[in-house]
Amino acid sequence: MSGFSEWLADVKDVRAPEALAVGLPTKRVESWKYVPIRGLARTTWQPASPQTTEQFALTGGQFVNVPKVDGCVVSENTVTASEQKRLDRMSQAHGFGLTQAALENTRLVLTIQKTASVVLNLHHLANQASSAGFATLVLRVEAGGQLTLVEQFESTDIESANLSSLRCLVALSRDSSVTHVRFQAANATAHVFSNLDVECSENASYRLQTIEFGSKLARNDIYIALVGREASASVNGLAITSGTQYHDTHLAIDHVVGETNSEMTFRNMVDGKGEATFNGRVLICKDSQRSATEQSIANLLLSESARVNPKPELEIYADDVTASHGCTVGSLNKTELFYLKSRGLSEADARAFLQYAFAEKIVEEIEHRDIRELVETQLLGELKHGELIVELKESVDV
Amino acid sequence: MLSIRNLHARVIEKPVLKGINLEIGTGEIHAIMGPNGSGKSTLASVLAGRDDYEVTDGEVIYMGQNLLDLEPEERAWAGMFLSFQYPVEIPGVKNIYLLKAAVNAIREHRGLPELKASEFLKLVREKLKVMQMDEAFLHRNVNEGFSGGEKKRNEILQMQLLEPTLALLDETDSGLDVDALRVVGEGINQMRSPERSVLLVTHYQRLLDIVKPDFVHVLAHGEIKLSGDHTLAEKLEREGYEGIEAA
Ligand SMILES: Nc1ncnc2c1ncn2[C@@H]1O[C@H](COP(=O)(O)OP(=O)(O)O)[C@@H](O)[C@H]1O
Ligand SMILES: [Mg+2]
Repeated sequence: MSGFSEWLADVKDVRAPEALAVGLPTKRVESWKYVPIRGLARTTWQPASPQTTEQFALTGGQFVNVPKVDGCVVSENTVTASEQKRLDRMSQAHGFGLTQAALENTRLVLTIQKTASVVLNLHHLANQASSAGFATLVLRVEAGGQLTLVEQFESTDIESANLSSLRCLVALSRDSSVTHVRFQAANATAHVFSNLDVECSENASYRLQTIEFGSKLARNDIYIALVGREASASVNGLAITSGTQYHDTHLAIDHVVGETNSEMTFRNMVDGKGEATFNGRVLICKDSQRSATEQSIANLLLSESARVNPKPELEIYADDVTASHGCTVGSLNKTELFYLKSRGLSEADARAFLQYAFAEKIVEEIEHRDIRELVETQLLGELKHGELIVELKESVDV
Repeated sequence: MLSIRNLHARVIEKPVLKGINLEIGTGEIHAIMGPNGSGKSTLASVLAGRDDYEVTDGEVIYMGQNLLDLEPEERAWAGMFLSFQYPVEIPGVKNIYLLKAAVNAIREHRGLPELKASEFLKLVREKLKVMQMDEAFLHRNVNEGFSGGEKKRNEILQMQLLEPTLALLDETDSGLDVDALRVVGEGINQMRSPERSVLLVTHYQRLLDIVKPDFVHVLAHGEIKLSGDHTLAEKLEREGYEGIEAA
């Protein structure tokens, strides 16, 4: 036996038998068709244990040092019926969901109070080799509340497969807003699972910026429902995939009512034998008149063996809708390379410039200066021949 | 400085240059005129090393080297500069990054020390002034959202910074209003020197009124049909290309 079977056989959770019976998702399931799950199956997983830290962190499936800040209260550890419904939908929605639910270690429920403005910095610490942590975070943002949630991943080297999974429910009450920045630079053997389920009420706005360089395998399932008038969602994402990494984002936005707005911009940059999957689906329901959606997906392939699987989907059932979409796949632009080289840049520097430019279009959107600079620094560290740009930024940026 | 012998080139199987012969001496300014589609940009691009064009015959000797063996960046290191007819927009790369990287790359190959940030800024401000460009252009993305005229000024700004030995200027005057034309023209004149040669591709006489060429050549159907001094440009302005094309 391997994978999660032994662990599942051990836990008392009512969903464990079903999770055990279902097993790991297979490539026969459409949404898992590209996911290389061999690494998951080969490891005999054990519960991770939390490490000591002073930061607000998720470690070994537990939240530690939950900050005590004005306007943010730790609520009782029970979820409402509708939240439970959303969690159940998550566990049913994809092949790994039951295992995530059955092995869940902790659940944290935070309420951002009316008109409060709160910043949370959540650090994901690396779990030890062959160990996994499963957690759930429920965020309730009351009317007019503002939350900035920044997630960062520790990149300490771990010798073999390790896993962390976070399921996150976000409920935005009317007039509230959430800015969610996710910067995944986890260790090279990490398996990172993130399930996000967001619900936006009237005039609420949710903005996600997700940047992914790290991990061996990452799978993001993001679902956003715009259920109140004037609600809006925007997702900006960048995945940089190299070596033998696999990055996968499945993003779905439902416009349930009218006068709602969504925007998704996603960029994949793939090198080496890396593979990236992006599935972006927007659904505009029959009653969602006068809604607007913009979708833009760009894929940059840097090597012969790099692979991308982009899939944009737009389903529109209302007639008065503004929708635009675009999806491109290509390598570095030859004319741009020629222009740079004709100015004396070496081939390597010219390539680094253009790769940086491709990524920067997403990174420059991050409003939080500290995070943006951190991401930029790491981005340049990731790039082959990024040194020239590092030096330029240091010398001529004002 | 540059010796083009029997140069033939094609693009996507279509022959465009059909035996170009041209000698450019050190310190000379040569103008190439000719109707649309005659191969002017193709000639400039082949000289700069763009690989959309295939050289099928002939050779080009640049300062004793076989130019066609060099990569585009090696040509730049050897002192060649092309001002593009359609300057390329590079979203996400700040103009100042490109300028500083280019200046230092070329200095390195000339055996000069790298310019420090403050030295570079001083130099670039000087050149911006010459080109009557605002400093804000430094922090915008390369050519992105620049008007046609701003792009051309930016090209000449780069030429001023890189101080090439041989400048190829492809229709740097097109799309410019009278004032911009004067700025660009003066920017080119300022670079005139006994050590520097210029190949000026243009459609119109008006740039040649500011930048007086030593020689004028007419390119039609991929061949140089006629060569002369600057009075040839005036004649073309009056009479058009018809007679020459038929020849
Ligand atoms: N990249 C290209 N693809 C296809 N045809 C081209 C390309 N570049 C040039 N040509 C063709 O080659 C001929 C010469 O073009 P060009 O050198 O741009 O002329 P000019 O600069 O004199 O107007 C034209 O017929 C043009 O259509
Ligand atoms: Mg042309």
